[in-house]
Amino acid sequence: MIRVTLPYHLRTLAGTGAEVTVDVDGPVTRASVLDALETAYPMLRGTIRDHDTKERRPFLRFFVCGEDVSLASPEDPLPEEIASGREPFMVIGAIAGG
Amino acid sequence: MHASSAPREPPLKDRMKPAPPERELSREEVARYSRHLLLPEVGQGGQKALKAASVLIVGAGGLGSPAAMYLAAAGVGKIGIADADVVDLTNLQRQLLHATTDIGRPKTDSARDTIGGINPHVIVRPIESRLDSGNALEILSPYDVIIDGSDNFPTRYLLNDACVILGKPNIYGSVFRFEGQVSVFYPKAGGPCYRCLYPAPPPPGLVPSCAEGGVLGVLPGIIGSLQALEAIKIVIGRGDALTGKLLLFDALGTKFRELTLKKDPSCPACGDNPTIRTLIDYEDFCGVPHGTGGTGDQAEITVEELKRRLDGGEEIFLLDVREPLEYGICNIGGHLIPPGELAMRITELDPAREIVVYCKTGIRSARAIETLRQKGFQKLRNLTGGIDAWADRIDHTMARY
Repeated sequence: MIRVTLPYHLRTLAGTGAEVTVDVDGPVTRASVLDALETAYPMLRGTIRDHDTKERRPFLRFFVCGEDVSLASPEDPLPEEIASGREPFMVIGAIAGG
Repeated sequence: MHASSAPREPPLKDRMKPAPPERELSREEVARYSRHLLLPEVGQGGQKALKAASVLIVGAGGLGSPAAMYLAAAGVGKIGIADADVVDLTNLQRQLLHATTDIGRPKTDSARDTIGGINPHVIVRPIESRLDSGNALEILSPYDVIIDGSDNFPTRYLLNDACVILGKPNIYGSVFRFEGQVSVFYPKAGGPCYRCLYPAPPPPGLVPSCAEGGVLGVLPGIIGSLQALEAIKIVIGRGDALTGKLLLFDALGTKFRELTLKKDPSCPACGDNPTIRTLIDYEDFCGVPHGTGGTGDQAEITVEELKRRLDGGEEIFLLDVREPLEYGICNIGGHLIPPGELAMRITELDPAREIVVYCKTGIRSARAIETLRQKGFQKLRNLTGGIDAWADRIDHTMARY
C-alpha cells in the first residue's frame, strides 16, 4: 500500500481527503505510482502529468522522504519507506494566498 | 544552510559595522529591546544591525500584518510596506494591521499608524503604488530584505525575478485554507529561487485564491510570523535560515514538515544560463487578463446588462460554478454546479439555451466556459466580476464574503 498526498485542487477533483492509497504491482517508481493513482482516480489524468508527454505540470513538485525528486527520472526506484507506506509520496502544489 | 555561513554574502550585520552614531541605541531603546539584548545570539550587535536594517513587506494583508508588527516591535530601522488596496470588512478576520475603524482607508495608512503605535522609532515608508515590472526594481532597491506577503501569482513571480536581479533575499510565505508554505529564496547565497520550485504558475482559476477557497484567520498569523523570524535571522546573521528548504504547515493536523529544495541549473532566473535579465509582463506570464475578472476573449456580460435582461423577462439560464458553501452565503438563483462536478454533470445543461456563467469574481466561470466550449456549448457568456459585482452594483443588501 502506497500513500500519496495531494494538493487541495486535486483532492477536490478526485473527491478525496488529503491522502489516498494505491497499490502498485512491480517496481515502485514515480511513474508506476502515478499510473496507479490515475487508474484509481481517472479524473486526475492530465492534471499531474501532461496527457501526452507525461511531463510533470510545472506548478507541482514531487517529494519523497523530504527530498525533491521532481527532476529525477520517473523510472528511478522509490525508497522502501514509500513502497511500504511508512512515508507518503507527496505531490505539492503552488498556492498564492497572502 | 546556516545564515551566518552563507558562501557568497556576508551577513547584513557584518556589512553594517561599525554602527554610525545614529545607529547607537538610546537609553529608551536599550530598555525597549532588553529581552533581545539579554540573548547572546542577538545582543547589542544584533540589535544595532536590526536598527540599521531595512525590510520591504509586499502586501499589508494576512501575512504582511504579523510580519510588519513583529519586525517593528523587534526594532527594524526602516520598514517599507507596499499595498494598493483599501481595508475591507472581509480583511479583518486575519489582517491585524487594520481595525474596524480603518474600513475604507488605504491599507498603507492603517499599517503606518499601527506600526507607529507599536514602535515610534521605526521609519515607515508606505508604498501605495501597485508593484509592476516598471517600478519594482526601483521600489525594492533601497531595502536589504524583501518579504513576499502578496496574494497572487503575478506579484510572486515579479518579486522573485526582481530579488534575483537585485541579489536580495526573498522571504516567501503563502497560505490557503489550512495550509501554509515558507521558504527563503536567496540565489546570491547559493540557494534556489521561486522559479526553481515552480517554474510556471497554475492556469488562472485552477488553484482557488483565499477569497474563493477561504483561509483560517490564524494561519497567516503563523506563516507571517515565520517570515518575520527568517528576516530577523538574516539581518543579525544567526541561526539557520530556510534557504534551500520549504517548510509546510498543516493547521488542521498542527504539523510542520521541512522539505529540501534544489537549485535548478536550468532555471531561467537564477540558473547557469539565466535568460530573465529584465522584468517581464507578469500578468501575461500567468495568463491573467489585464484589469478584468475574466480570461480574455470570451463573451462577457455586465451585471447591469444581465439585470436589465432578466427584468425584461428574457429566458437566460444562470449557471453558478461556486461551491455549495459559497452558494449558501449568497446567490442569485443560478443552477449550482461546483467546478469539480461540471464535467460529470454536463447533461444538466441545455446547449440550445443561452447560459450566463458566474462565480465569485469571474475567474472560475471563465474556466468553466472553456470546459463547456470544448464540449460543444456555444451560447455562453461570462458574468464580468461575478457575484461580487452583483453585490457591488445591483443588490447592496446581498451578503458579501
